[in-house]
Amino acid sequence: MATPNLAKPIGARPVAAKAAQADTSQISQGRLMVRRFMQSKLSVFGGIALVIMYLLALFAPFFGPYDVNEIDTNYQWSGPSTLTFAGGWPGICGVTQTLDQKNFAWVYTKDCSQSNPIQLFVHGSSYSVLGLFNSDLHLFGVGKPAKIYIWGADSQGRDIFGRVLMGARVSLSVGLVGVGFSTVLGSILGTASGYFGGIIDNLMQRVIELISSIPTLPLYATIAATLPHDISVTQRFFLITVVLSLVTWTGLARQVRGKVLSYRGADYTSAARLAGASHTRVIMNHMLPNAVSHIIVVAALAVPGAILGETALSFLGLGMLPPAVSWGVLLRDAQQVQVVTTYPWLMIPGAAVIAAVLCFNLLGDGLRDAVDPYG
Amino acid sequence: MTALETDVRRRDGAANANDNLIEVKDLHVHFHTTLGVVRALNGVSFNIPRGRVLGIVGESGCGKSITGLSIMQLVARPGKIEGGEVLFKESGEQPVDILKLGRHSDAMHHIRGNSIGMIFQEPMTSLNPLFTVGKQIEEAVLLHQTQNHEEARRRAIDILDKVGMPNPQRIADSYPHQLSGGMRQRAMIAMALSCTPTLLIADEPTTALDVTTEAQILELMRDLQKEIGTSIMFITHNMGVVAQMCDEVAVMYLGKVVERATVDDIFYDPKHPYTISLLRSIPRLGGERHGRLDAIKGSVPDPYSTVTGCPFHPRCPSFMPGLCDTLVPAETRIESENLHTVRCHLHPGSTILGKFGSSGGVATTAPETMTGFAAPSNASEPMVIPGSGGGTVNNSAEPNLTSGDVDDGAAPRVNRTS
Amino acid sequence: MLNYIIRRLLYMLVTLVFVAIISFMLLDLTPGSYLDTEIARLRQAGGNMSDGQIEALKIRYGVNDPFPLKFGKWIVGVLQGDFGQSFEFSVPVSSLIWGRLAFSLILATSSIIFAWLISIPLGVYSATHRYTIPDYIITVLQFVGVAIPEFLIALVLMVVSASVFHADVGGLFSPAYVDAAWSGAKFVDFLKHVWIPIIVIGASSTAWLTRVMRANLLDVLNAQYVQTARAKGLGEGLVIWKHAVRNALHPLIMAAGGILPALISGEVIASIVLNLPTTGPLFINALIKKDTYLAVAFLLLLSVMLVVGNLLADLALAWVDPRIRLE
Ligand SMILES: Nc1ncnc2c1ncn2[C@@H]1O[C@H](COP(=O)(O)OP(=O)(O)O)[C@@H](O)[C@H]1O
Ligand code: SF4
Ligand SMILES: [Mg+2]
Repeated sequence: MATPNLAKPIGARPVAAKAAQADTSQISQGRLMVRRFMQSKLSVFGGIALVIMYLLALFAPFFGPYDVNEIDTNYQWSGPSTLTFAGGWPGICGVTQTLDQKNFAWVYTKDCSQSNPIQLFVHGSSYSVLGLFNSDLHLFGVGKPAKIYIWGADSQGRDIFGRVLMGARVSLSVGLVGVGFSTVLGSILGTASGYFGGIIDNLMQRVIELISSIPTLPLYATIAATLPHDISVTQRFFLITVVLSLVTWTGLARQVRGKVLSYRGADYTSAARLAGASHTRVIMNHMLPNAVSHIIVVAALAVPGAILGETALSFLGLGMLPPAVSWGVLLRDAQQVQVVTTYPWLMIPGAAVIAAVLCFNLLGDGLRDAVDPYG
Repeated sequence: MTALETDVRRRDGAANANDNLIEVKDLHVHFHTTLGVVRALNGVSFNIPRGRVLGIVGESGCGKSITGLSIMQLVARPGKIEGGEVLFKESGEQPVDILKLGRHSDAMHHIRGNSIGMIFQEPMTSLNPLFTVGKQIEEAVLLHQTQNHEEARRRAIDILDKVGMPNPQRIADSYPHQLSGGMRQRAMIAMALSCTPTLLIADEPTTALDVTTEAQILELMRDLQKEIGTSIMFITHNMGVVAQMCDEVAVMYLGKVVERATVDDIFYDPKHPYTISLLRSIPRLGGERHGRLDAIKGSVPDPYSTVTGCPFHPRCPSFMPGLCDTLVPAETRIESENLHTVRCHLHPGSTILGKFGSSGGVATTAPETMTGFAAPSNASEPMVIPGSGGGTVNNSAEPNLTSGDVDDGAAPRVNRTS
Repeated sequence: MLNYIIRRLLYMLVTLVFVAIISFMLLDLTPGSYLDTEIARLRQAGGNMSDGQIEALKIRYGVNDPFPLKFGKWIVGVLQGDFGQSFEFSVPVSSLIWGRLAFSLILATSSIIFAWLISIPLGVYSATHRYTIPDYIITVLQFVGVAIPEFLIALVLMVVSASVFHADVGGLFSPAYVDAAWSGAKFVDFLKHVWIPIIVIGASSTAWLTRVMRANLLDVLNAQYVQTARAKGLGEGLVIWKHAVRNALHPLIMAAGGILPALISGEVIASIVLNLPTTGPLFINALIKKDTYLAVAFLLLLSVMLVVGNLLADLALAWVDPRIRLE
């Protein structure tokens, strides 16, 4: 099986012909895929929504009115600001903080008689734009001393809206980077396994089986628990993505292997081998280009798993740790039911998780149907 | 069966040619797909005489299967029967228009399986893999014939025996995957005949089988047909099979019946250029093997396009510009001993001015003699000799079928495609 | 068939041995053992500890043994039901885990049954009523269901029942029954609590299975044997439920094996939010506190649950499908 069928007399000419044919069909195939994808409105919607989310994350400090770590004891657990049109221009109501002596909790009374108009492009805390230059411009804000919390504040008066945008940086990139790692790993191992077969293949299958014999989250948690605590946020981020890809690559490897197996029997593969192409050449020139659309699909569908994985780990206190901000870290504040019942806006980061995962699923489904309409 | 018997059977049938079990009139079926409407059947009319075998032939995609399914009211979405009649006249009962019965009505359920049985092309997939063959036959018997499980089981084994299963008890307890393709098709036939239907619709029942098995299945069907007296609507794209099996033939092209005649007339005196092309595509005795449709140029147009005039005109060797591409030929009767109709402007009755675009019913104008139009050159040359047996097809790619136990086995065949 | 089962069992054993090695290795690698924490605590509590005392502790816990020796000692114990000593609770691990595992098993099993009971009718309805409004609603729910993390569903459900029904929904029992012996009343109390975790844990699996069911049934409905069944004169209900659905279950059972890891993961995380007396809270706590033997025992036993579940799914597959059974 591993060696091409030598009984088939295939000369050099058919090789060229076949290869050319494969190329042209590849191009029209690609166009066909794009057309099929564009037909699926939900998937296009998912794709566009994701682009917007990533842009929001990239320019989070601009879209959020305050620094994400800015603590404000005057607004501890303050709810979302109330919109008012009292001034003829959209603004927010004023808020006063008093202490409820009996329950020992902060109580906020709003005063909508006077409006704090919302201003656009205000100057505030300074931040770095993509590491290139500094800016203190924010999309919106209100005049001091009032503060605008469109999604409410957390236990230390920090702006949840800004923190969700900031958290998106970690949560959304964990998905991409983690799946990126596992795509590379899965493609290499899957291709090798499918192409060479034999012992390599067998060993790979056993390893995959072994990994899939351990329940996912407990495995993530166990590996994450071995990570040292005294490392920087960036180091931790990369280690967490590695942890996530340790499991994700198996699904990818399986799919790629299946594809490669089906190509191995194809005429042009044996033809190329007979024409003297090396294994690497056959894999790089004939198999990977054919498999690449499938790899992209499987990868897109694997991203939600990675996002959910990071969220779960951070939520459990084993993933990203404060002061790093990620959706899972933010949701740690929502662990106690009593707290969430009183301050339901603490669950808003959860909505962000759902939205991102949903969009990736829509996108992935559309890609899959476009690439493999009958699969 | 000998050639003589075949002839006797045919002549018998001719005596009461007007006794039709099924009369299909102007049947229209459309598929409403996202890409547009496919007019799969465009005014199909034909009759199935009682107790005889009607062959439906044509290239794949011309609507043969949809015709069969329409009679059972089994056309699946997005297909819809848009119009027409299917008159079903069981002896001793009032004729019913099947299409007027609700798809899921009791009357329809009673007809399906009980009065009309059906066999499909793919024996590998037409039996449910999760139930034994016996259970699947019993299911039909229990539904229509008896409430008694033992009785049903006995009848299932009986019918399995009748279709020539070597060990019917064991076969009844087997699952489909344990049987070969030929065995499965026998089981399907057993199931379809288990309630002794008056009509059996066989949709390419042998297309998926190898040649030896095909011959056996055909022989079985012929024998059972004689024994039970069931009428058969035999769908195939293989003219050789038609020669072996059928009494009458309806040739279909693009959702229309283009020619109807007895099997002898079809083979000895074909009128429609499409029929002639079909016959020419059969490998000749001792001749070189041709591709299936070498003789017909071009291919069936894509189903979404509409062809003006005669649907066959883009491929027709006798195409008459200005006439064939504008005017739809009507069905017209040919002067003949038996019923013989054709839809082609070469036969003047078909040309009814003012009938643009529409189609349907048999033209009522008196057929003129059409000697003025030269039929395509080879038309009168007999392509096959039905029922003659004994001839040898020199067909290198397929097993040779000259062994004595299967008569008619030598009938030429059209190269198969799925 | 018997051969097949035996072969599968052997495979399973080998896999589990490797799982044991890997999980033990993982936790052994952890920098800083529970001992360090313990020493720090003792020092804080009662002044100085001599090096001798520390050495004695290290020997007692076998900290300096080479890995194979440590693992060997441990695995021999495991085979006799001794999973070692919990550092944190100073009791044998086995005295902590079984009750919790039992609850986990009950929850996982109930959730999978729940998922099946909901997803099959939904999937069938969705497939047989394609492009109708209910089908769209089911599809949307199914997309959202897959996207919501379990702990969020848990939170939402708890918040809703706390603020709307003023019901205390955490845990598996009301406080009065937690330590009571099993009785009719306790069982009723259990039933009153257990539905929330079942929904929480089963939700995403339900969504996923509905989707699988719909897709499969659409495939099967195109199969020739379904047409055969109709041609026999069977009513549409029988055609669908007897002939089509039974064939569509086939991939669904395979999918059941596939959702087990998600189910177990969901159980672990939901139990933390819902404060259930199952494996989740203790396991995560053990990981954070580096209570090695406790954590490894949980990891291993959860894997056993998964592997056995997969085996059962395969057997169920063989049971419904003669093509596998009679191989
Ligand atoms: N599900 C469907 N959707 C769209 N068109 C269909 C469908 N099924 C059949 N058709 C159309 O009906 C025509 C006739 O099909 P069929 O009766 O199966 O042909 P035959 O049996 O002669 O090969 C086909 O050409 C096809 O265009
Ligand atoms: S009508 Fe014209 S095009 Fe059609 S079959 Fe007859 S000759 Fe050919
Ligand atoms: Mg057909």
